[in-house]
Amino acid sequence: MLKLAWRNIWRNKGRSAITIAAVMFCVIFAVVLRSFQIGVWENMTHEIVANNFGYLQLHQKGFWADQTLDNSLELASVNEQIFLDHPDVKGLIPRIESFSLVSTGEGTKGTLVMGIDPQRELPGLQLDQFLVQGSTFAPDDKSVVVAEGLAKFFNLSIGDTLLFIGQGYHGASAYGRYPVVGIARMRNPELNKQLVLMPFKEAQFMYNCVGRATTLVVDLEEGASYKQVNQELLAAIGLSALELLSWEQLFPEIIQTIEADMAGGQIFISILYVIISFVLLGTVIMMVAERQREFGILVSIGMRKSKLAMVTVMENLILTMGGALLGMAIVKPVQFYFKYNPIDLSGQMREAVERFNFEPKLHTTTSFMININHGSIIFLIGSLVSLYAVWKIMTLNPVKSMRS
Amino acid sequence: MSKTVIEVKDLFKVYEGPVPVKAVNGISLTIKEGEFTALKGPSGCGKTTLLNMLGGLDYPTSGSILVGGNDITSLGENELIDFRLRNIGFVFQAYNLIPVLSATENVSFIMLLQNRPKEEREDRARQLLQSVGLTGKEDKRPGELSGGQQQRVAVARALASKPQFVLADEPTANLDSESTANLLDIMLKLNKEEGMTFVFATHDDRVINRARRVVAISDGKVVSDLSK
Ligand SMILES: Nc1ncnc2c1ncn2[C@@H]1O[C@H](COP(=O)(O)OP(=O)(O)OP(=O)(O)O)[C@@H](O)[C@H]1O
Ligand SMILES: [Mg+2]
Repeated sequence: MLKLAWRNIWRNKGRSAITIAAVMFCVIFAVVLRSFQIGVWENMTHEIVANNFGYLQLHQKGFWADQTLDNSLELASVNEQIFLDHPDVKGLIPRIESFSLVSTGEGTKGTLVMGIDPQRELPGLQLDQFLVQGSTFAPDDKSVVVAEGLAKFFNLSIGDTLLFIGQGYHGASAYGRYPVVGIARMRNPELNKQLVLMPFKEAQFMYNCVGRATTLVVDLEEGASYKQVNQELLAAIGLSALELLSWEQLFPEIIQTIEADMAGGQIFISILYVIISFVLLGTVIMMVAERQREFGILVSIGMRKSKLAMVTVMENLILTMGGALLGMAIVKPVQFYFKYNPIDLSGQMREAVERFNFEPKLHTTTSFMININHGSIIFLIGSLVSLYAVWKIMTLNPVKSMRS
Repeated sequence: MSKTVIEVKDLFKVYEGPVPVKAVNGISLTIKEGEFTALKGPSGCGKTTLLNMLGGLDYPTSGSILVGGNDITSLGENELIDFRLRNIGFVFQAYNLIPVLSATENVSFIMLLQNRPKEEREDRARQLLQSVGLTGKEDKRPGELSGGQQQRVAVARALASKPQFVLADEPTANLDSESTANLLDIMLKLNKEEGMTFVFATHDDRVINRARRVVAISDGKVVSDLSK
């Protein structure tokens, strides 16, 4: 019986080729589209999360909802060893994030102040990578690095002095005067307009919060599953006065944007699926019409309809399966190619993307799940479509079909 | 006194429509084992309709068809399919064969449906193809055979299932004289040697002349029944 199905495949090579090609291209197209879409987001989130904010952040409980120094945490209250004991944790990176009015001779502006230790920081804050002028600071220095946009605003050059006026821990005033030693280009355009970076210790001092930090970024090993680490750490420390938040909890709006974008892509792919369903249905209708007489003869000489239907479905499944597998296989190198050789965006797209702080490149994801998913969806469509043949065979009247 | 294979009683088939057509209009007929019978008559007289009902391909409007004493008009669809598989060999007018299977495979296919063992299928297929004079053409596909050769494969296939009788609807309609004579020789030989019962629907004189019993039908009724 399998032989009959197999022989039938070779019988109308055109039809078989159409079926295989349609399924194959549909899989390739859907997967490529999806890979780019997911790849771009993967890349973007990686950029934002892995390079700047970290996958996990530890705060005093309530800090994320109300980001003031009063909600900072006491470093001594955190048992760092518990974190270091976890194999996927490289360390804790302390930060102080607050606001200050900054003035120079030219004017005054509200700024975001970050106290960091560039040597311990995530890649996006390793300042020496982003300097456009001057140098970075050492942990014990009393100087600042200013984001490029802000430097332009104040028309700053290296050696100028900034005056800080703000509010420190528990209502204390926070004053400071620091020379600018470097100007850095921040990838994030918002930060680039308003960020001032200073040594972590100096920030603690200026904000009157020695021994405290607003944020401890949990620095993870490359490739670690932050979800799993999050759960394991939560279990290990049994947080009471602290909150350990994943990037999804920190930035739910990113997730929403991604989901909205995915839904848009889904519609496009659905349309593709509808088209492919009709193409496949067309080939099945073609086949049934072509074999009317033969079906009639087979049933007349004593082949049960269910058996005939099975052979016919088998034939179709071999075709769609072949197309799906072929598509899944062919698209694999394409995914890899564009992951490592992303498409450079140009023109307006480039500007738009750059404005939002992302690399103007289209990456793909190489996750094989996408191939499996789309491969099986299309295989399923193929199976559903072959139900037409089943229906035609089950309602076949041998006398009528042989007269045609 | 040979045994009765088919017994038809008061058979009617009416095709409903704006003008109902009484394609078979009260036929009673008995076919005995070993007969070589031609149903003849003008186009539209009801030969195919009658033959289809004898073969369990179509249900009569009324009347009964007894095959080996069992009324086949009361069988359900799948029972009827299995019945055909076990009891009836079919030869149709043309394009009888499965185009993707070789001559041998076409003949063994029906035995495969009967779940016969592989060896038996292959032996019998070869033997039958030999007896219809197709030795050497076993592996040819229908498309590579002439019309007459295809009909001979169809006859071999009809016999492969060891049926009680063979029904053939205008088996020679598409054949030239030589092929027709050849096909008839073969069927007569099988009829004599194996005692196989044949019933033809035909208006081909070449067939009618060689049949041993000729039943003439007109307007759905038997008008004469001559045995030689
Ligand atoms: N499915 C059908 N619906 C309506 N009328 C039909 C149907 N099948 C056959 N008929 C009619 O029944 C009558 C007998 O047809 P049938 O095919 O049995 O004739 P026949 O003797 O085999 O003719 P031919 O020699 O041309 O093959 C004809 O008038 C035909 O038009
Ligand atoms: Mg006819």
